[in-house]
Amino acid sequence: MLKNAFLTLLSLAIAVGGGGASVWYALKLQDGVGAIRIGQWTAFPDIGTPTADPYSKARVAREGVLALGQAEGLSFIAERDSGGEQLKRQCAYKIAGGFPTARFWTLYAADQSLGVVETGTPRPAALQSYQVLRQADNSVVISVGSRPAPGNWLLTSGAGKMYLVLTFYDTPIASSTGLSDVTLPQIQKVGCNA
Amino acid sequence: MRSLLHAVLLGLLGAGIVHIVVLLLVPEFSERDAWSRLAMASDLYKMTRLDAEAGGAPVVKSVDPLFYAAACRFDLAEGMVRVKAPGKVPFWSISVYDRGGHNIYSFNDHSATAGVLDTVVLTPAQMIEVRKDLPEELQGAIFVEAPIEEGVFVIRSFVPDDSWKPIVSRFLEQSSCELQDF
Repeated sequence: MLKNAFLTLLSLAIAVGGGGASVWYALKLQDGVGAIRIGQWTAFPDIGTPTADPYSKARVAREGVLALGQAEGLSFIAERDSGGEQLKRQCAYKIAGGFPTARFWTLYAADQSLGVVETGTPRPAALQSYQVLRQADNSVVISVGSRPAPGNWLLTSGAGKMYLVLTFYDTPIASSTGLSDVTLPQIQKVGCNA
Repeated sequence: MRSLLHAVLLGLLGAGIVHIVVLLLVPEFSERDAWSRLAMASDLYKMTRLDAEAGGAPVVKSVDPLFYAAACRFDLAEGMVRVKAPGKVPFWSISVYDRGGHNIYSFNDHSATAGVLDTVVLTPAQMIEVRKDLPEELQGAIFVEAPIEEGVFVIRSFVPDDSWKPIVSRFLEQSSCELQDF
């Protein structure tokens, strides 16, 4: 009798605990269902649309996101550099390459909640395409780090996990057909302050 | 021992069911979705700044730091809603969301007449009524047909650098979100 009660309780505990925890874990992953990966960059083109998958819908409801519409733009998030290592705020990176067609784009360094990194200075940890210097072949090289760098410099500060958020506005790639042959810039690690 | 294995397997099967049920119920019961957050911050038909610039924490998450944004909640059951904002800014874009935060419709300043933000959100039934006799003052407006009742209207505007901050702020603060009598 007691054994039966124990086994029933065990089943229920596994069911409720496991079910709840697995949902929580699935929603916490940056790289979830419905993601499109291009190099190190991840985007959720369907997030916030009525056709999104249940995981995206739950994420939208839980985090209070108002996702960009297709006529507005598309956001890509990078969590790792091209060597596969986690991006860190105390490290310096070089972002280089061509950018897909868009009216303009913005790039910012974000903390874990995807809010912009506080720099403690009037200079924000954000850049946009109207202010960047371009190479002769129209590609862009951006230095990311806490020390000033010549050319395009994206200021970061502090320590810990970092995300890079690259958003293209008024772009044809936001309509899902354009995403197949898009290339995005590489993120290379330059070095770290120990 | 057999019965223990049996119980664990049953538990795992139950976990699968609970996973699906919880996942589908999260949007239904979330009190942290965009609508609820906005409802805590302001009334219906009131433009509220979403970015942190206006003071306090940002109301809704993940707003681009180089953007300012404002939102108003509306209820089309009460009538159609008209949103206007005077002035010129480098870029603005509009999104209409339903109660659950799904993006129903979006457009940007390229779609507007002379780049002026003047738009009316209405249900298909209201659209039929309006079409019968389009008022003079709505001639230049963009009509957004949305088969919803409660919804959220968001204006996003690009701030290329600090010198644009006051201009873009004024653009959003002078924007209006009103029930339109018809």
